[in-house]
Amino acid sequence: MRVSFQSLERHVDLSGVTPTQVSELLPMLGLEVDSVTTFGLQPIEHLVVGEIRSFEKHPKADRLSVCQVDTGDGVLRQIVCGAKNFKANDRVPVALPGAILPGNFEIKSSKLRDVDSHGMLCSAAELGLPAGEDGLLILTARAPALGTPLHKLFPSPDVVLEVAVTANRGDCLGLRGVAREIAASLGRPLKPLEARAPSGTTDKPSSKDAFGFVKSTSKTCPYYTLRTLRDVKVGPSPDWMRRDLEAAGLRAVNNVVDITNWVMLQTGQPLHAFDAAKVKGGIEVRSARAGETLTLLDGRVLTLDANTCVIADEARPLVLAGVMGGVESGVATTTTDVILESAWFIPGEVRRIARQYTLATDSSQRFARDVDPAGVDLAARLAADLLIEHAGARVVGPAVVVGKAPRSDRTIKLPNGFVAAKLGTPAPEEHVSAVLRRIGFTVHATNTGLEVTVPSFRSDVDRPIDLVEEYIRIHGTAQVPVGRPLAPLPGEEESPAASFVHEVALRLAGAGFSECYHYSLCDAAEVTRVLDEKSSAQLALQNPLTADQTHLRASLIPGLARALQLNLSLHAEPRQLFEVGAVFRPMADGQVRECLSIGFVVLTEAPRRSWKTREPFDLFSAKRLLTGIATAAGIANTRLTWSDVPGGLWQEGHAATLADRGRAAEGACGLLDLRWTRTLDIRGSVIAGEILLPRATFTSARKSARFEAFSSFPPVTRDIALVVPTSTGAGDVAERLRQAAAKAVGKDIAVEAVTCFDVFSGEGLAPNTRSLAFEITLRHSTRTLTDTEVTAALEQVAAAAAKAGWTVRR
Amino acid sequence: MQSQLDSALKEAADAAGQIRTRAELEALKARLVGPNGSLTLIMRGMATLSKEERPAAGKMVNATKAQLDEILATVSARVEQAELAALLGPTVDPSLASPDVAPGSLHPLTRTRERILATFRKLGFVIAEGPEVETEWHCFDALNTPADHPARDMQDTFYLPKSFRSIDALRKGDEDLLLRTHTSSVQVRTMLSRKPPLRIVAPGRCFRRDAVDATHSANFHQVEGLWVDRHVTLADLRGVLDFFVKETFGPEAETRLRPSFFPFTEPSFEMDIRSPNLGRLSDRWLEVLGCGLVDPKVLESCGLDATEWSGLAFGLGLERIAMLVHGIDDIRHFYANDLRFLRQFA
Repeated sequence: MRVSFQSLERHVDLSGVTPTQVSELLPMLGLEVDSVTTFGLQPIEHLVVGEIRSFEKHPKADRLSVCQVDTGDGVLRQIVCGAKNFKANDRVPVALPGAILPGNFEIKSSKLRDVDSHGMLCSAAELGLPAGEDGLLILTARAPALGTPLHKLFPSPDVVLEVAVTANRGDCLGLRGVAREIAASLGRPLKPLEARAPSGTTDKPSSKDAFGFVKSTSKTCPYYTLRTLRDVKVGPSPDWMRRDLEAAGLRAVNNVVDITNWVMLQTGQPLHAFDAAKVKGGIEVRSARAGETLTLLDGRVLTLDANTCVIADEARPLVLAGVMGGVESGVATTTTDVILESAWFIPGEVRRIARQYTLATDSSQRFARDVDPAGVDLAARLAADLLIEHAGARVVGPAVVVGKAPRSDRTIKLPNGFVAAKLGTPAPEEHVSAVLRRIGFTVHATNTGLEVTVPSFRSDVDRPIDLVEEYIRIHGTAQVPVGRPLAPLPGEEESPAASFVHEVALRLAGAGFSECYHYSLCDAAEVTRVLDEKSSAQLALQNPLTADQTHLRASLIPGLARALQLNLSLHAEPRQLFEVGAVFRPMADGQVRECLSIGFVVLTEAPRRSWKTREPFDLFSAKRLLTGIATAAGIANTRLTWSDVPGGLWQEGHAATLADRGRAAEGACGLLDLRWTRTLDIRGSVIAGEILLPRATFTSARKSARFEAFSSFPPVTRDIALVVPTSTGAGDVAERLRQAAAKAVGKDIAVEAVTCFDVFSGEGLAPNTRSLAFEITLRHSTRTLTDTEVTAALEQVAAAAAKAGWTVRR
Repeated sequence: MQSQLDSALKEAADAAGQIRTRAELEALKARLVGPNGSLTLIMRGMATLSKEERPAAGKMVNATKAQLDEILATVSARVEQAELAALLGPTVDPSLASPDVAPGSLHPLTRTRERILATFRKLGFVIAEGPEVETEWHCFDALNTPADHPARDMQDTFYLPKSFRSIDALRKGDEDLLLRTHTSSVQVRTMLSRKPPLRIVAPGRCFRRDAVDATHSANFHQVEGLWVDRHVTLADLRGVLDFFVKETFGPEAETRLRPSFFPFTEPSFEMDIRSPNLGRLSDRWLEVLGCGLVDPKVLESCGLDATEWSGLAFGLGLERIAMLVHGIDDIRHFYANDLRFLRQFA
């Protein structure tokens, strides 16, 4: 809200207080000041009214004019001007040489394209005034004397604060509310605000009223008042009122409309004036009938629905309730009788209606923040007083009131010691009383505590805790002492996921990976690269904002691949990137699981040549990283199963998936689909890896590892080579051999390792077979193994292999 | 005998200079001290000497043997040096750059998060977490933000379709699911799952339906703090947050609590800081976080008796803190993933 310093002074004495002080005071009361600007015109020397006696086109520039200007001192000055909006004998602001315009811009005599120019003709913007039409500020209509210092034509300079009012402080959408805060803080009284016109007393119009009936059949409006004012002379409003409106950013229209707006600015209560001649029968506040139309003051035509509250006469809707008036029933120059409306609407309903029709008005903004029900009557009476004074109006009879104020003053019991207990520092009850009285609360001390009566304008203060806020706000938050933090609480368990996330990030950064952060939202194409169409559709948002962020991401890999692409194009030499974050995966039953994902990508070829070449990062490097990460997450290697990938992001036959079915963890690693990475302008190949950990992985704190005793006797190793079908995984063969060995040796002998050390296919082997060689390591727990028992065990392993259909090579 | 010894010694000394390999060394040793070596034969010859002659002869032999050993040791050392040199290859140029991948880096938001979490851990706060897809109830209703509150405007919040079902955020009724707009939802989840007293900080990603510009991002990160106990006061709030500010921005940083409004705290404040060490943002008040005492309605929503328990809560933006600490002027840098940016915070 725009708060002008001069307007504030109508409500509180600000002598000795500067606008700067006010702008520093308000934020500490909870009213943020977004900007401080000047309004009106500062006196500027050598800036006067002049008349353009004649002008002609500049000989060397089509867009410039050469003007002969009279500023009343008996000489004609030649001034070159670029504007187009003037005619001969127009009066305009003239900045003569020596004038210093806003922005420290000094005017000097000069030549413009070889033509002498002795000053500048000014636009509104160049003078720091609100910009009107393009071009010069034409003053002709005001008929000022030539040579008049320009600032004499404008209001005295003022300072306007743009104040951001929080959602709970509807009372501060009126100047009086802001002034009340300042007055309380300065310890000064508010100036009185009283109306002479009578309050409403009846619920039926009399024969003198300009309307036959009033009723509200809408829940949106529990309290509605109307007054008739006759013999209104519509015309311009007084200068001081126009000034206040313009300072607040409103346009002056006519005295009737200006008065309703001016009263709204002071009190925060929006008012509406109908031209009585255009109201048929009477006024009803009702729900719109579906399909009814209403043409608003701004020319928009609304087609209404039944959830919309309107003010209507017997024939048609006139006003979108609480939001904006209609063009048909508004006050015009021909108006003689006015019906003045003042009402209270349910805040949430006004917000909803304004949003539904995408209209945010001064009125809807205030009703939506909950105006003061007591102000409904006061504002209408203030407006009536002003209409009598400035529009010659005559009040007929009392106001007609339908319904009643939804809220009045209320009393809160504030127990002794409550404020001090919340502050953590003493707050004597007498002091609390004194502070609360400064913001207009009434306080009555009892033996057990204070009885605080909160006026109706404070919709946000209901409970003792709300009074604590009021006390510390006005007393000053600097009075809150700095407490000493307590010692930690023992035995509190920390989220295991949090420490895991940090550990993994450190591990990958240590391995030469740079951490990336991508948006969690992506487009449909990116999800379908990871999931099938049906699953992808499950990750769509209901109300996306932009076409490139319509879905929840299902994988970190597409983002990381794009980061490789971007950094290659930037010549930033990307090589190894990673990211840690949430991804979303639909499950077979249709539910969506939020997983913690760790993903990484590696460009296998360095973007820059080097004096020495290293072994490239491959699928097995990725596999080692992933198994390390799984271990850190509490998933043992032995739980992981590895298999071929079905495609998607990955290059078939050159990548693998992993799964831990028990914990529903999943992942993959290997070569990214080459056709895809080529479309990203990545020439080399990209090895990537990703592991998805469901929240359940981290539901329990990790157990401490338990020590297991180990043998002090030496191990024995034996080799076994097998010819197996190419389609049989070496991992599966190793597992089979391990099981066979374990069965053969019994429980005192450990099968410590079954390691594949040679893979061979080709010459000497049948097609679709390959040779795998394993080293088996055995160790006895209590003695040295004998050659005989090891040989016997290996015979059984060989037998098991043969049984599996594999040829043992001897 | 002396002449025999001298000739053996001379043979050794002459040969020593020629020896390049261990095999040549072993051959020389064999010629001198092997079973048929010249020195071995001389020593055998001593058996023919008389008892009187032996001590002097022994002395001569020992002296010669010592000299021989010395020669052989020198040669052996030289051979070993040559062998190692062959094994090691040419010497390295340590001024060459490492051909390995460049060092990795942690994202500045990760670093900022961990620094903030470390600060609050010192004060006995533990880390808690909640899902990014959240129910309206956890994100709004339980936090005293009723259905017609402006913060629940569709304009500001990403919603998921009615058909969306999340295993991590189970609906209480038929409310909508949304992308959480703040980490304050973790307050609710914590109070529902644990008994007070409790002190938690919840880092996490949040979403607002905002057009992206220098200060707005479709997703951003917060760290939420909650302390629930008997008699938690505003003085405690200042104590905790002043400590945080001084740990993060240095002991010179000043703080102030500026009254504000959040539905879930009462009273509510924004905390501003002013520090001489913030570059062009030095020496002016800057908003860094929102805070307050937990609104009694929030405690009651979570099943806590608001006359017995009280709490303080705060929420700060990771991006905001990282931008202040590192002098970053545009929030979009955090999500652009330009390595020239990321490597600056390695």
